Amino acid sequence: MAEHRLRDHGLQSERLLWPTKGPSKFEESMPAEELEQHLGLTTLEKAVRWAQTKSMWPDTFGLACCAIEMMAIVSSRYDLARFGMEAFRSSPRQADLLIVSGRVAHKMAAPLRQIYDQMLEPKWVIAMGACASSGGMFNNYTVLQGVDRIVPVDIYVPFCPPRPEALMEGIIRIHEAYLAGIPPAYERRQVAT
Amino acid sequence: MAIAPEKQTLYQGTRIPAPVPTILHVPEERRETGDIMQVNFGPNHPSTHGVLRLIVDLDGEEVVGIEAVIGYLHTGFEKSMEQKTWWKGITYAPRIDYVGYQSNELVYVLAVEKLLQLGVPEKAVWMRMLLAELNRIHSHLVFLGTSALELGAISMFWYCFREREMILDLSELVTGQRMHTRYFQVGGLAEDIPEGFYAECRKFVDWMPQALDDYLGLLDRNTIWLERTRGVGQLNAEDALALSQSGPVLRASGVDWDLRRDQPYLAYDQVDFRVPVYEHGDVYDRYRVRMDEMRESTRIVDQCLRRLERLKGRPWITDNRKVVLPPREELHTSMESLIHHFKLVTEGFRVPEGEVYVTIESPRGEQGCYIVSQGGPRPWRVHFRAPSFAALEATAACVNGALVADLIAIVGSLDAVMGDVDR
Amino acid sequence: MSEWVHTPGHVKDTEALGETTVTVERASIRAACAHARDELGFNVLSGIVATDYLGWGRPGVSGYIGTAQGRDINFPATQGLQTLPELKPARFSLGYHLLALGRDPRRVRLQTWLEEDETVDSVVSVWPGADWYEREVFDMFGIRFDGHPYLRRLLMPEDWEGFPLRKDYPIGGEPVRFSEAE
Repeated sequence: MAEHRLRDHGLQSERLLWPTKGPSKFEESMPAEELEQHLGLTTLEKAVRWAQTKSMWPDTFGLACCAIEMMAIVSSRYDLARFGMEAFRSSPRQADLLIVSGRVAHKMAAPLRQIYDQMLEPKWVIAMGACASSGGMFNNYTVLQGVDRIVPVDIYVPFCPPRPEALMEGIIRIHEAYLAGIPPAYERRQVAT
Repeated sequence: MAIAPEKQTLYQGTRIPAPVPTILHVPEERRETGDIMQVNFGPNHPSTHGVLRLIVDLDGEEVVGIEAVIGYLHTGFEKSMEQKTWWKGITYAPRIDYVGYQSNELVYVLAVEKLLQLGVPEKAVWMRMLLAELNRIHSHLVFLGTSALELGAISMFWYCFREREMILDLSELVTGQRMHTRYFQVGGLAEDIPEGFYAECRKFVDWMPQALDDYLGLLDRNTIWLERTRGVGQLNAEDALALSQSGPVLRASGVDWDLRRDQPYLAYDQVDFRVPVYEHGDVYDRYRVRMDEMRESTRIVDQCLRRLERLKGRPWITDNRKVVLPPREELHTSMESLIHHFKLVTEGFRVPEGEVYVTIESPRGEQGCYIVSQGGPRPWRVHFRAPSFAALEATAACVNGALVADLIAIVGSLDAVMGDVDR
Repeated sequence: MSEWVHTPGHVKDTEALGETTVTVERASIRAACAHARDELGFNVLSGIVATDYLGWGRPGVSGYIGTAQGRDINFPATQGLQTLPELKPARFSLGYHLLALGRDPRRVRLQTWLEEDETVDSVVSVWPGADWYEREVFDMFGIRFDGHPYLRRLLMPEDWEGFPLRKDYPIGGEPVRFSEAE
């Protein structure tokens, strides 16, 4: 049977109508040309991504000096709450974002991976600081040379410790990347590199 | 609601567990009659102390056994510093106790200068004192903000971090870096003090007492705060000394000991400040000691600032070319300066053979640096005596039948920074 | 200080840069610590530090080492002068930093020397705070303490092999190209 689209009724929409259905009362009450000015049309995926981005709750994974600067982004000057992220969840099951802030000793690597595994998809990882990105200035027997050896990382934020604004830029870049359609790192890389 | 007076009197005898002083074992009769559950306060937990793991045995809500497992932040500072020159070690030092970062830098630089027997210009001495005291205020603010946050006084976090931002602004003004500034050099300071610093620091000094009054107004007569901190986590003076405590924990237990006054370093014998000592040894007294210390530190900063304003234009680093880089202008004209510069940058300065142990009063207590030099450009052994290490040893003694909620208060009041513990 | 002569196991005491170092024999360290605490009033143990002197006094790679005060560029004759530091009595030194807290504060370092497989008495019975210090020394250097109630690794994972701060233990990490060998 021929497809019956809303477009045939004069509205600019791709919506496919059930054969016996026509425009709804709402759509009839609105003149066709003005419909797009009154409604926001989007895809479900984009809407869900917008919601996920605007309330991406981090996990309390502060390890060392970077943790102090991570606490600073919650403070009133750098105010992470305007991005909906001030709710640091203690349980990884409730968290979306893992900010690895600080040097990861080999003893801590196993708990780190365990926390990462407990998080539910979609999940993002920020390697905050030089130590989490690459081992930093500690090239020795006890520091993991970069947290991307055990978890897939979305954004590396350099410096020692990064300014709170730098960390926020990293967070916002994750938001923008995800909104643009780039999946989190575990999908791109399949496994931890 | 009145606080029960018997909660406040300090215990007699000792509460240090035996045979292992740092592990509280569940008593046998409890294990038979009680319902013991072992809970792991794992390395990742909401209290903001970093990666401390406590294995806690609970009988209901009461803590009957505790063991602290550390090492989750062991970074190998001591071995790393053996591989680098003395100058590069200054970069490693502040990351040990990352909340009181200036004190680590200071103790390392003082130890190297003691081995070198190097004199430091007056301006550098006073500026070091000023920055060390600003860092003490910073560290106590972080302690207050995070401890209050854990006990439920959540808005204290934002108040304390507001002042912390002011201190970090001052730090950035002088050194360009908020934390881990690496401003202390062997021989003085890295750069001159910029002109705008004095006015900004004066503004901070004038504002800080009012901020401290704000904090006291928020917490000090709050019934919930008093109930949760008074009588909790007591440690008497004998136990504190036996467990090598120092700093605010020792002063809250009644021992009048402050390295700034009793074994002065820098110019602490020329400034006027009080040392707060309280006698109950509980969480509340440790909090009061730190609050009073913040007030006294502001006074010290004020005195240092007035002295520094009279020292404008003086040198900020010694001119011993064997240790300190010559000014850049000299490199164009003087052959000796060029050679000194070359040797200092490529090989580094040499420190005479010997061993030395220097201690200062960091915000957490007695911070010590033990250096062994072979006479070469690299250290043979660097060891940092960490006050938080000793403070965590006292956890088992302080706990003594506390409830789970009190455990959080106790660990917060001991103010252990895990970077300092694990090094 | 002459008061140290009566310490059990006393070998010698030296003073340098304002610090007193008292060397005692390995077997009497616990008695020496108890003596310091009870007779001389050193009531606080500030820390226990171990140092590994393997390779001490060996000339450097390019063969020069200079004087103990360093090489003086203004006196070129010192360039060929090879003065090596004095060799140490044994491989490991253990330093106990003590503090006499009070009106007249004093500090001292009780030092004892030991070879690789020798053990030392634990001073946990003298100062309970020595517990974790001794565990850390064991963890990093492999020095065993007799009488310690719970001698296990503290900082490294329980199943780690090797003692990291020994001089024959490599620094580890990953190789970095074009970096200096320091």
